[in-house]
Amino acid sequence: MLETVLAVVFLPFVGAALTPLVYRVLGERTAYYAAAVAAVCLGLVTRLYLTGAHGVAAVEWVPSLGVSLAFYVDGLALLISFLASGVGVLILTYSGGYMHGEPGQAKYYATLLAFMGSMLGVALAGDLFALFTFWELTSLSSFLLIGHYTSEADSQYAARKSMLITVAGGLFMLVGFLLLSWAGDTTLIAGEGSLTANAGGVIETLRTAGLFVPTLLLLAVGAATKSAQVPFHVWLPNAMEAPTPVSAFLHSATMVKAGVYLVGRFRPFFLSETAGGHGAAAAEAAAALVPEWTVVFATLGLVTMTVAAVLAVGSTDIKQLLAYSTASHLGLIVAAFGIANSYGAEGGAFHILNHASFKAALFLVAGIVAHEAGTRRIDRLSGLRHDLPVTAIVAAVASLSMAGVPPFNGFYSKELLFEATYEYAHEIGGLTWAFPVVAVLGSVFTFLYSIKFLSLFLGERDEALGHVHSPPLSMLAPPAVLAVVVGVVSLDPMIAVNAIVGEVYGSTVPGEAHSFTVGLPTALKPAVVMSAVTIGVGALAWPQYDRIHDGVRSALRGPVRADWWYDNAVAGLTALSKRVVPRVQNGLVRTYAAWVLVGASALAVGGYVAAGVELPALAVPAETTVAVSVVLAVAVVGAIAVTDAPSHVAGVLTLSILGFMVAVFYVLADAPDLALTQLTVETLVLVIFLLVLDRLPAWYGETDRLTAVRDAAVAGAVGLTVAGTVLVSTAASPDTIAEGLIARAGLPPGEHVGLFTDYGGGQNIVNVILVDLRAFDTMGEISVVAMAALSVLTLIRMRERGEAQ
Amino acid sequence: MTAQVVLAATLGLLFALGTFLVLRRDVVRVVWGVSIISQAANVYLITMGGLSGGAPIGSFGEGAPPTDPLVQALVLTAIVIGFGTTALALVLTYRVYEEHGTIDTHALAEADPDRASADGGTANRAVTATHDGPLDTETTDDRMTHGGDER
Repeated sequence: MLETVLAVVFLPFVGAALTPLVYRVLGERTAYYAAAVAAVCLGLVTRLYLTGAHGVAAVEWVPSLGVSLAFYVDGLALLISFLASGVGVLILTYSGGYMHGEPGQAKYYATLLAFMGSMLGVALAGDLFALFTFWELTSLSSFLLIGHYTSEADSQYAARKSMLITVAGGLFMLVGFLLLSWAGDTTLIAGEGSLTANAGGVIETLRTAGLFVPTLLLLAVGAATKSAQVPFHVWLPNAMEAPTPVSAFLHSATMVKAGVYLVGRFRPFFLSETAGGHGAAAAEAAAALVPEWTVVFATLGLVTMTVAAVLAVGSTDIKQLLAYSTASHLGLIVAAFGIANSYGAEGGAFHILNHASFKAALFLVAGIVAHEAGTRRIDRLSGLRHDLPVTAIVAAVASLSMAGVPPFNGFYSKELLFEATYEYAHEIGGLTWAFPVVAVLGSVFTFLYSIKFLSLFLGERDEALGHVHSPPLSMLAPPAVLAVVVGVVSLDPMIAVNAIVGEVYGSTVPGEAHSFTVGLPTALKPAVVMSAVTIGVGALAWPQYDRIHDGVRSALRGPVRADWWYDNAVAGLTALSKRVVPRVQNGLVRTYAAWVLVGASALAVGGYVAAGVELPALAVPAETTVAVSVVLAVAVVGAIAVTDAPSHVAGVLTLSILGFMVAVFYVLADAPDLALTQLTVETLVLVIFLLVLDRLPAWYGETDRLTAVRDAAVAGAVGLTVAGTVLVSTAASPDTIAEGLIARAGLPPGEHVGLFTDYGGGQNIVNVILVDLRAFDTMGEISVVAMAALSVLTLIRMRERGEAQ
Repeated sequence: MTAQVVLAATLGLLFALGTFLVLRRDVVRVVWGVSIISQAANVYLITMGGLSGGAPIGSFGEGAPPTDPLVQALVLTAIVIGFGTTALALVLTYRVYEEHGTIDTHALAEADPDRASADGGTANRAVTATHDGPLDTETTDDRMTHGGDER
């Protein structure tokens, strides 16, 4: 199993690395090469599915930190993998037609393949850190694909926005992961010995530390940013700047599902306290309290579902409409997973599949419309069925499914959400009655925009539209395949349930899962009434669509728009850094140096204060001889003379006094090698200084008193910090490293004489260390000196040969 | 007086003097400052190894352990690297003077077109002869001759 999983995850990356080469040979047909890679992945995922391999498979990754590259295979992982590879095949085929004549195709296909690998990694990751790594890789590839048209300002804005929001959210999630791995003492997510397996104990630890709710919220931020939940939905409509196949793949079928996946993956963990079920005992246990999980995710999901649906009604562009609709449907899935009963898990699991099938089809339809009709404006498109008959059929099936009209597949999963909210409100009562009400409200708007999308194909053809081409087969087949999937699931939803959705449901509930059935309603249950209300109200409101549309648009002004907050925050930060940077980096060496030195001192002192370090008592017996004191005193006098030197030459000579005094200090400190080196270097430096000074102007810069006082203050602060550090650190000198080394060699006392002689073949330990133990360091040091010499030569020679600047 | 106080006072003073020099306008003094600070850092590292004990050479075996050889090895590397840095800094100073006719950091910052125009970077990097200190005639001539093959 491990080999298959590794192949599934890493094959796309290998494929991506080879893409530039393949592009040279195949040109635009690289699309079919990429589709073939995706098809192999799909085959491997199918193999995983058919062999029924489940559970953890791990290889060591960073053994020293105990991080393994663990994968976990279950229903949820398989479903997302199927979506990533299966939709991947269709999208890459479609790209062959769509991207005809577009720039940057090698990069495009390489990034799409890399994305597919990352998404498969997210789906199959069994370890928190593996999950995080792949998660951020999807953000990165999304950034590259949104910014595909690199020279356009809109693409740049959109790419930056999605990157900022999703990567920032990912960092919140990482903190959540760190808390989880601290509390659980493991980084495995599910399976044997994992967080989910020990959920009770882990949650207990988190609750005792008061970190349960923060952890939940941190994960929620990660999921919400990735899955474009309100108020982080703002990046998704802008992401439509990407080529349409990218929108269909990343921003509807797969990447945005990562957030939903996270919610589903951690649902059994967070709901383990209130294991849901149909039984009376379970219901009673659940009735005791609304778990934080439900408060967070049901609210988040339902608000997103409704707000995004309203925004979709207010859209003027078909891709924008689909983007908001995607956010809305992701909200539906999050809400369903949020509700702590089994209907919720069923609805969420089923809707992942349904949404991917109908929404990817609709995006591909939108791509055909934009490509062939030359516009994406809703008010300019109508009667397209005359020109695009097959596309119209696909659009009809998919948009009716999106509207939640029976018997299409979107109806079944929405029905499960209604059932979940109603049953939950019925059990708990009180404020939870808001859940079903909001769910119906959001669904009414969903119905409205779905019908609007369908109406592009109905009615009279707008003559202003001009000639509409027929799409090539490579663009028509993929949405048709998806429509067939929608059709099959619609006709018999139990096929999907038995094939995979039942297993997905099993992955998202704590404890044992029961089997579930869906089908057309046969009795008048509350959920059926809710569906009837949705469709009825929607149908009644449909004639007023344009007024609702205008109303939504006129209400979206200023701070009501989440974009307003984003744009102002970014603009504010930019303005702030524009004001701060010139103060810190003004081109003057002294400013940079002052900031660095004062900053370092402040950090050091702050660290001492925070750690409660006290200055040691000064009663340590004297180690220093009079000689050392005298030498150091002369060195200080030398330094003072340098600072006060009346000319460059005087300064250099006094600097030499300091240097030679340090050499004498090395002699007294029993470091003969250092003393020799220091003497050589000091002599050389003196010569170089004198050579260079001969070419430089004699003297510069009288300092005014104010500057001198200010600099003296900075210098004083640095000096005091260093003095304090010396007092603190030398009081606590550890055993010498030589002693440690001898101890580690494990030799009997008195026999370590030969340690260095035998080991390094030398009598001088410093030399043995330099040329043997740390030989690579010494090689680096020699390279540095060689490089400095080369640079010196270049700097002087370039000028002499007249190559100025 | 104890060892620590002598060391702490010496190193504190050396760092303070070095910092003061680094903050000067004259680039040569900045190089001096960096040099003093790195010397002081080396002394500090050596004191961390302890000042007692014999030189770590030969068969010191039976008696007290020698002073820590590892810090000595580190500092030896540091001295050599410091030499490279100082030499490079000095030649850079020389080159800056050839290009700009001044080694006053203030004049250099003003002459920098990236700083002068906030939009940055499109203006030609003009050679300015701004210098507010006295130049002796020889170096002025030097600058003139080099300025000649500038264009």
